[in-house]
Order: sequence, then C-alpha cells, then structure tokens
Amino acid sequence: MAKRTRRVGYGLPVVLAIGVHVGVLLLTMLRLPDSDPTPSSSSVVQATLVSDVTATDQAQYAQEARARAAQRQAEEQAQAQAQQAAEQQAQQEQEQQRQAAEQQRQAEAEQAQAAAERRQQAAQQAAQAKAEAEREQAQAEQKRQQAEAEKQRQAAEAKKQAEAEKQAEAEKQRQAEEAKKQAEAEKERQEEEARKKAEAEKQRKAEEAKKQAEAEKKRQEEEARKKAEAEKQRKAEEAKKQAEAEKKRQQEAAEKKRQAEAAAKAAAADALNDSIESEQERIANAQQSNQASNNFINLVKRAVEDRWHLPANAGGGLVAQIRVRLGPSGELLAATVTRSSGNASFDRSATQAVEAAAPFRELQQLDAGLQRRFRDFNLKFTPGDIQ
Amino acid sequence: MNDSMSIPHLILNASLVVQLVMLLLLAASIASWVVIFQRSFALARARKAQKSFDERFWSGIDLNELYQDVPEQYEALGAEHVFRSGFREFNRLMPKTRSSEAVLDGVQRSQRVALSREEDRLNSHLTLLATVASASPYIGLFGTVWGIMGSFQSLSLAQQATLNTVAPWIAEALVATAMGLFAAIPAVIFYNRLSAIASRLLGEYEDFAEEFHSILHRNLQGRGSNPTA
Repeated sequence: MAKRTRRVGYGLPVVLAIGVHVGVLLLTMLRLPDSDPTPSSSSVVQATLVSDVTATDQAQYAQEARARAAQRQAEEQAQAQAQQAAEQQAQQEQEQQRQAAEQQRQAEAEQAQAAAERRQQAAQQAAQAKAEAEREQAQAEQKRQQAEAEKQRQAAEAKKQAEAEKQAEAEKQRQAEEAKKQAEAEKERQEEEARKKAEAEKQRKAEEAKKQAEAEKKRQEEEARKKAEAEKQRKAEEAKKQAEAEKKRQQEAAEKKRQAEAAAKAAAADALNDSIESEQERIANAQQSNQASNNFINLVKRAVEDRWHLPANAGGGLVAQIRVRLGPSGELLAATVTRSSGNASFDRSATQAVEAAAPFRELQQLDAGLQRRFRDFNLKFTPGDIQ
Repeated sequence: MNDSMSIPHLILNASLVVQLVMLLLLAASIASWVVIFQRSFALARARKAQKSFDERFWSGIDLNELYQDVPEQYEALGAEHVFRSGFREFNRLMPKTRSSEAVLDGVQRSQRVALSREEDRLNSHLTLLATVASASPYIGLFGTVWGIMGSFQSLSLAQQATLNTVAPWIAEALVATAMGLFAAIPAVIFYNRLSAIASRLLGEYEDFAEEFHSILHRNLQGRGSNPTA
C-alpha cells in the first residue's frame, strides 16, 4: 500500500535545472540584442596652434641630433661620391677608346664614300656623252621625217596639177601624158635625190656617232686613268692623315684622362659642397618640423602657467622638474616630480598646475613621431617661468 | 545586428572578476533550480501521501491494524510518521503506567518530536532558495559595479568619450546584474510557493496530530471508566 520510495532523488532535478539554463542560454543566443552602433561623433576638442617659434631645450637637442645625423650622412655620401667619381673616370676612358675606334671607322667610311662619289661622277659623265649621241640621232630622224613630208606634199601637188591638166585639157592627152612622164620622171629624180640625200645624211650621222662614241670612250678611259691616279694619291694622303689622326687621338686620350682625373677631383669637391648644402637643408627641415612641436610645447607651457598658483612661501631659486606622461589623446597619465625643489608645497603646486592644465588635446594634431616624442617630457618649474 | 554585443560574447569578453561573479551566479542559479525541482517533486509527493494516508486513517480502519500493516525497514513520513511515533509511544506507555495524563503527555511529546522532524524535512534546502533570492542581486550588482569601474578606467584611456567606447563595457557589466536577477527571481517565487506548501502540509500534520491526540485521549477516558476494555 504505502510507497516504498518516499524520498525524492537529486538526479532528475539536476538534469531539469541544467536543462532550464541551457534553454535560457539558447533563447538569448537566438534573440541577439540588436543595438545599432551609434556613429562616432566628430572630435570634441578643436584647438588651434599659435605660430610663434621659441627654441626649447628639447628642440635644440633634436636639432643637434639631426645635425650629427646629417654630418654622418654627408660623410657617407662623400665616400659614395668618390667611388662614383672613380667609376666615372673608368667609364670615361672606356668611352674615349670607343670614340677613337668610332672615329677610325668613320674616316674609313668617308674614304669609301669619296671613292664611290668619284665613280658616280665618272658614270654620270659617260651617261651625258651617251645622251648627246642620242640627241643627235633624234635630230637626224627629224630631218628624215621632214624630207619625207616634203616629198609627200610635192607628190600631192603634182597629182593635183596633173588632174587639173587632165580635166582642163582632155584633148591634150598627149601633152598630159608627156607631162605625166615628165612629172613621173621628175618625181623619180626627186625621190632618188631625196633617197641619196637621206642615205648620205645617214652615213654622215653614223660616222659622226661613231666618232663621238670613240671620243667618249677615249675620254672615259682618260678620266678613269686620272681617277685611279687621283685615288692612289688620295689613299696615300688619307693613310698619312689616319696615322696623324691616330697620333692625335692618343694624345687626346691622354689629355682626356688627365681632364677626367681633374673632373673627378672637382666632382669630389662638388660632392662635399652638395653634402654641406643638403645638411643645411636638413637642418632647415628639422627647424620646420620642430615648429609644430614648439607650438605644442608653447601651448603646454601657457596652459600650465595659467593654472600655476605659486605658494606664498616660494622664494627665488627654487627649481622643480616635473615629468609629464601623456596618453595617446593628450590626457595626463602621470605627473611625477623627478627633481624636487626641496619645497614640498612648491612641488605640489607644480604638479597641481600640470594636472589642472591637462588634457593636452593638441597632441592629437601632431605627427605620429612627434606624438611619440611628446608622450613623455619634462617641465622645469622656476618661480616666474616654466621651461 | 552587432555580433560583438551578443550576450555570450559579452560574457566571454568580460574581465576576470566579472567572469567569476557570473560563474558564481550561474552556480547559484543552477543550485536554486535543483532545489526548486527537488522540493516541488518532494512536496507534491508528500501532499499525495498525506491525502492517501488521510483517506486510510478516516476510513474506519483499526489503528493497530494500520500501525502493523507496514513492512520492515520502513521509514514513515509526514502524518504517518506523526501517527506511528505517537501510537508507538502510546503502546509502550500503556503497560507501564495507569495514569492517562502521563500517557498522553508522552504521546504528545513524541508527536511533537515527529512534527519537528517533518517540519525540518519539509523546509530542508528552502533556506538555500532564500539565500540565493536575497544574495544574488547583490552579487550581480557587485559584478556590475566592478565592470563599470573597468569601463571608466578604459574610458580615461580612450581618445573620445563616445557611446561606442562606453557601451560594450556597460553592457558587459550589466550582464552580471541580469544574471543575478535571473537567479534571484525564480528563487524568490519558488521559495514563497514551496514554503507555503510546506507550511500548509505542516499545518495538516499538526491538525492530524491534534485529532489523533484527541482520539487517544477519548480512548484513555473510556479506559479510565472501564479499565478492562
């Protein structure tokens, strides 16, 4: 009747409890809270840098360090430039040798060109002679054509006359026949004469052409001989000139070597001058970049000075140095006394002034390198002034 | 939907102290739920047993039969426990004394002991619920305050004090309070409910004890007039 297991175990409750929690966790994971990220507002503090330059210890140290770095760089550059000058000398010598070789080649090429020009001139002269012979032949042909045209005209006139005589004097056939015989005879005579004349002209022209050709051949041969002689003379002269030119080139090469050495010396001197100039430029750049940091230091100094209340018992000659460490956004991380003035209230007033002047939001406007530099700096407090 | 603002992500990215607080609260919550379930089952079973015993007791069964109809090594609970301890004491005292007052005193004393044990049994572990219900909001609040301290420390390092820089820290800190409340609210509700059930059961036990006592008293009065009965 009675239940034997009255006691309730803990196994099932534990399982149920863990189940409840897992269920709740799953619910939270399923329903992720949607919180829209609010857009980041623009910068809260906007400070403007006042542009007046006063040198601080840190800036001077920075300048000195930069000057040293510039000197080292200049020395390295001078060495590098000397090496470069030596290399340039070697290159110049090589170039001179190349130039000499090129000049020789050019001279040879010029000689070859001159020979070719001479040959061309001879060929042109021969061509002119041939052209003259052709012109004469063309004149002879024109004369022949004129003669033939005259013959045709005369023949035509004779036929007209004969026809007119036949028409006019039908009865006088005999006379006409005679006239015809006479005209034919005359025509034959004329034709024969014309042929004889033409043949004679042809023979004359051929003879003249032959004579001209022979004369031309003679002239060409003479010219060729003259050219060959002239070329021999020229070659001898050119050989002499080349020998002289080679001597001159050797002398010039020697002179160029001397000049290159002098130029290298001058280049080394120039390199020194350049390094000095670049050093000056770097110092100028460093001064420009220091301007921003000086502005920041000035701002810090002014802000600290405004909030510095000198204790009543602070006499002259008290000097306290406060080390200021800033966060990335210019907020004060720590202001500690690195060198006490011996007057506790004076030290406290100095640290309180720094704490009151913080944060220095202008740090954000500096470059990354300058920011890193001004994250940690010292301020020296003396009555009436902060350095 | 920002994944970095999800609750598991916030819990995992919290600082060590806040994580320890959250772990403590999670353990308290699990323990309280274990107690809630265990007590709920136990009290439900106790009510069922009480109801069945009540029916059996008032069904007109002979008390000796009811007392002996029990197996060996049986530990009675609830009203049955009260009945058995009282009846056992009654049976033990009856041969030794003729004074009915002494017998009734002994029975009442033994019933009081049984009732006290039953009360202790019913209310066992409910104190844990009470502790969790009252302490876990404070523990969660401690985690939140610690997290907000961390948030302000980080805020001093941030360049700009925007809501974006503060929100994750605050949310992370508030998770601790949320967990404290998550553990405390069920503990409070079930503590009240379970303690009400337990006190009602205890009241029923006490009623039964008084009724049983009156029955024994009636029997003794009858025996006093007729000792051979």
